[in-house]
Amino acid sequence: MQPRIPELGRFAEPALVILVSLSDGPKHGYAIMADVEAGTGRPLGPGTLYAALARLEERGLIEALEPVDRRRPYRLTAVGATVLADQLRELSEFADLGLRRLGRSPG
Amino acid sequence: MIALLLRLYPARWRARYGDEFAVVLAERPLGPFDVADVLLGALDAHLHLRGLGAASQHAKGFAMSLRIGGYAAILGGALWLLVLAGNAINNGAETGAPFLGLSIVGATVMTLLALIGLSAFQARSHPLLTWAAFAIPAGGAVVGLLGYLAIVVTGDSDAVLIGGISPWMIGSIGLITMVAGSILFAVATWLAQSLSRVASGLLAVGAVLVVLALFGASGALPPPIAIVPIVAAVVTFPAGWVGLGISALRIGRPSPVTLEGASA
Repeated sequence: MQPRIPELGRFAEPALVILVSLSDGPKHGYAIMADVEAGTGRPLGPGTLYAALARLEERGLIEALEPVDRRRPYRLTAVGATVLADQLRELSEFADLGLRRLGRSPG
Repeated sequence: MIALLLRLYPARWRARYGDEFAVVLAERPLGPFDVADVLLGALDAHLHLRGLGAASQHAKGFAMSLRIGGYAAILGGALWLLVLAGNAINNGAETGAPFLGLSIVGATVMTLLALIGLSAFQARSHPLLTWAAFAIPAGGAVVGLLGYLAIVVTGDSDAVLIGGISPWMIGSIGLITMVAGSILFAVATWLAQSLSRVASGLLAVGAVLVVLALFGASGALPPPIAIVPIVAAVVTFPAGWVGLGISALRIGRPSPVTLEGASA
């Protein structure tokens, strides 16, 4: 199932993992890349990271904080948290459906 | 190498992200994957900046509708408190009728604005449910406003209009439809889980009580008990709208998360 963050096209999946990364507190670019790689096992390239960050910021789902040593942290907005929760709920329901069809109990 | 890669991005993009992007690129040795990713990122930045104006306008419009919906719900809730309490105190008398009439018009307009703004917000995740629940109360609000307008134009709430219907009847039908439709809106809001579920629960209960009160259901109860559902209606219906408005405004604000991990 293709994750659906509104109107982000091919950046929907990177945007989703970035939102999840920011869900436990603000992080700057490199910390997000490291966190995503540790969490998903797949690297997130810097070009993809900033393309997704720019779109998330435009849509008000994240916001930039004041830079610390030229590193600018980003944090989830309340709207971003709502969108992320909706998205994760939908993904969870879809995963449960798939597992049930496979005859394996969710969780 | 980093400076060269940065030069591939548009100047406008570099002005906003260039400094921090350079720091990210300098954090670790750049491999072929990183370089390819940055090249594609630069191409995307050129293409994306062309559509940036439209996306920015969309985001602004979205936040604006949430704010308008929130403020309208709070103001509408306060006006409904005035209207419902005034009617309960009047108990059939016409004391302060012009003032209460104006308050009903104000409350109806604010409720319509709240329905539009909050539905636009919730429709992101539950479009069908939200707009179906929006149609009935919003339609009722519009009909109600037409009825109030007819009262002002004819100067007689009992004047006979087309089909033998009076302006007062049109206003009442609209009002009851709007309040009854608020139950649907509250249920949709509860299911959507985007705004406060406590407030949507209060609105649902309040709307049911107001509809029952409008049909005189409390008259079937003995006098000491009959006041209870009326007082409950006066409190819960406005409280539901105010609660939804506050929750909308809270969502529109930045989340109060800590800065822990910001330097990670």
